[in-house]
Amino acid sequence: MTVNDPAVFAEHLVKRFGERRVVDGIDLIVPRGAIYGVLGPNGAGKTTTLRTLLGIIEPDEGRRSILGHFSPREASDRVGYLPEERGLYPSMKARDAIAFMGALRGLDRRTGRTRAAEMMEAAGLGHAIDEKIKKLSKGMAQLVQLLGSVVHRPDLLVLDEPFSGLDPVNQEKLEALILAERDRGATVLFSTHIMAHAERVCDRLAIIAGGKRRFEGTVDEARGTLPSRVRYLPARPQAGVAEVLPHDATPDGDGWRFQLPREGIEGLLVTLIERGYGIGGLSIERPGLHDAFVRIVGRDAAEGEPA
Amino acid sequence: MSNLLRTLRQAMTIARRDFIATVFTPIFLLFLFAPVIMGSFGAIGGMGAASVADGRADKTRIVAIVPDANARTIAEADTRLRAVFRRDEEAPPGLTTLRPAGDPAAQARAAFASKDYEATAVLYGPLETPQVLYGPRGKRAADYLGLLAAETLAANRLNGDVPRVTAVKTALERQGGSAGNRRQSASFAVFGVFLLNLFLASQVVGTMAEERNNKVIEVLAAAVPLESVFLGKLLGMFGVAILFVGFWGTIIAKLGSLLPPDVASALAIQAAVGTPAFVVLFVTYFTMAYLLLGSAFLVVGAQASTPREIQMLALPISVLQMGMLALALAGTARPDGWIATVAQMFPLSSPFAMAGRAATSPDLWPHIAAIAWQLLWVTIFITLGARLFRRGVLQSGSAKPFWKRARG
Repeated sequence: MTVNDPAVFAEHLVKRFGERRVVDGIDLIVPRGAIYGVLGPNGAGKTTTLRTLLGIIEPDEGRRSILGHFSPREASDRVGYLPEERGLYPSMKARDAIAFMGALRGLDRRTGRTRAAEMMEAAGLGHAIDEKIKKLSKGMAQLVQLLGSVVHRPDLLVLDEPFSGLDPVNQEKLEALILAERDRGATVLFSTHIMAHAERVCDRLAIIAGGKRRFEGTVDEARGTLPSRVRYLPARPQAGVAEVLPHDATPDGDGWRFQLPREGIEGLLVTLIERGYGIGGLSIERPGLHDAFVRIVGRDAAEGEPA
Repeated sequence: MSNLLRTLRQAMTIARRDFIATVFTPIFLLFLFAPVIMGSFGAIGGMGAASVADGRADKTRIVAIVPDANARTIAEADTRLRAVFRRDEEAPPGLTTLRPAGDPAAQARAAFASKDYEATAVLYGPLETPQVLYGPRGKRAADYLGLLAAETLAANRLNGDVPRVTAVKTALERQGGSAGNRRQSASFAVFGVFLLNLFLASQVVGTMAEERNNKVIEVLAAAVPLESVFLGKLLGMFGVAILFVGFWGTIIAKLGSLLPPDVASALAIQAAVGTPAFVVLFVTYFTMAYLLLGSAFLVVGAQASTPREIQMLALPISVLQMGMLALALAGTARPDGWIATVAQMFPLSSPFAMAGRAATSPDLWPHIAAIAWQLLWVTIFITLGARLFRRGVLQSGSAKPFWKRARG
């Protein structure tokens, strides 16, 4: 293992449940220190991919390494994990639950309890340090579990759908925590189907659907899979403007919409001015990650996914 | 840190959590004092039965229809002979003497119908050829009346000058105990290990259900190997068992110190391996029986996903435990027989049977081999359980059987 090894490496990972290939030959390289998103619609194989990477379940084919170890167990003390299905012992106090999760990863109990109290204070949960889990709200319990997954200061943090079930305030807190973990030097790998979060925090991402990886790259590269769109509003509306505009131009209120031409827009603007249509308004809109996601996985697969 | 140390550390983390979660609850007090509750019900029932028996015993009599000249002598003979009986229940009913009147045979029959007492046996006629009538369960009382007649006759012939002999009694301890005592100790050992495990090992069955219901299992499975989870749960509940046994062991030891020396001596264990080694082996086999049965129950219980399924497992588990007890007890009855060998070899009955063997056979090496054998099976059960759980519950494992995967 060297420091140049990726934090997570997977090569042709396959996992079958019965005859169904839930994970179907996925390759993944998560660079150290990156925030890496695994995006996909429901049933795409995100959770199974993460569980296979972590060694909770064994792949049927392919190989994977975590922090340079081909056996994920060997690196388990340096990994933090928030599963999709949240689970805590209801009768445990919040501080003890966090310390327990740290202890499972090799952190001594006293340190775990001290850190738990500090982290809860910092997360605005100071009042609930000695509350039993069953008395906390769902969102608070989820934050407690999240703190439990980072209390041992892992080198790799794996979060499965971390934003689901959180209110906007707590979602913001979670984003801050992910960024803070990256700043601390940790690698963060998380799955989500909420594009806004991925767009804001991810350095790189993979989009998977039907168990296959459909895209891998940066957020900009994902957005780059779709051309930018132009919205043009003539200064002097007259008949015949459509003949000047690109073939895909469609009316949009008083104006027109079309894809940004490959050769750029400067030539088109000159023509429009010369012919007297003028420029009443012009905007070039870069496609969002949501648009790229829909295009990559297909509209049918993406339907029902919130943006 | 080596893998073994890490596994143990992780197991102990889970064990500690389970121990605290079990012990620091009000329900645990109910569990801890369950023997008191059971004992109380037993005592109440026993007292009721004893009260009925005492009431009946107060009125039960043996009757001797003898002339006044013999009444005092027969009463003295009764006093002398009655002294050898240790407990009231072994002693014949109290003696009542009646003066002969008219037809002694008719008087004897009439005695059975008396409202003042309940006659179990009645003696009448000359002491040289006494007649004894006895009712249901009065055969021993009839024998006793015959003995009293002989004693009275002998005393009469000696003119009441019955020789008084005071024997010098010296208690002698048999070296190593008799074969009968050892067998009794063996049965005690088997039953002791069984009883403790009957209470405690079955507690393990439902422990994995908590993790499954709370969905904590995913957190545990990601952090530690399932073998550590299983071992941790087993050790956690074993800690609870040790607390239970320690608590009641201390109380019983304190109560034992209050027993009269002769009673304590009668209850003392006489084991072929010697008492210290026997105590060590008893504790070891209790531990092994707990780990073996507990791991087997844990494996089975881990497959159950609802409280109802866990409840359904209670019967087969009890039957299995009773089966192991029966096998081990059959082995102690014939320590050199093939059943004993089977009981000692079969993993789930081995701790019970070997605890019995410690009482009947002085060899120590079979115990070392047996403990190693039993530890191997604990490991097999835990490993197998973890694999079954991973495959069945976590839906891991390959779609291909392992032999096909091995072939590639």
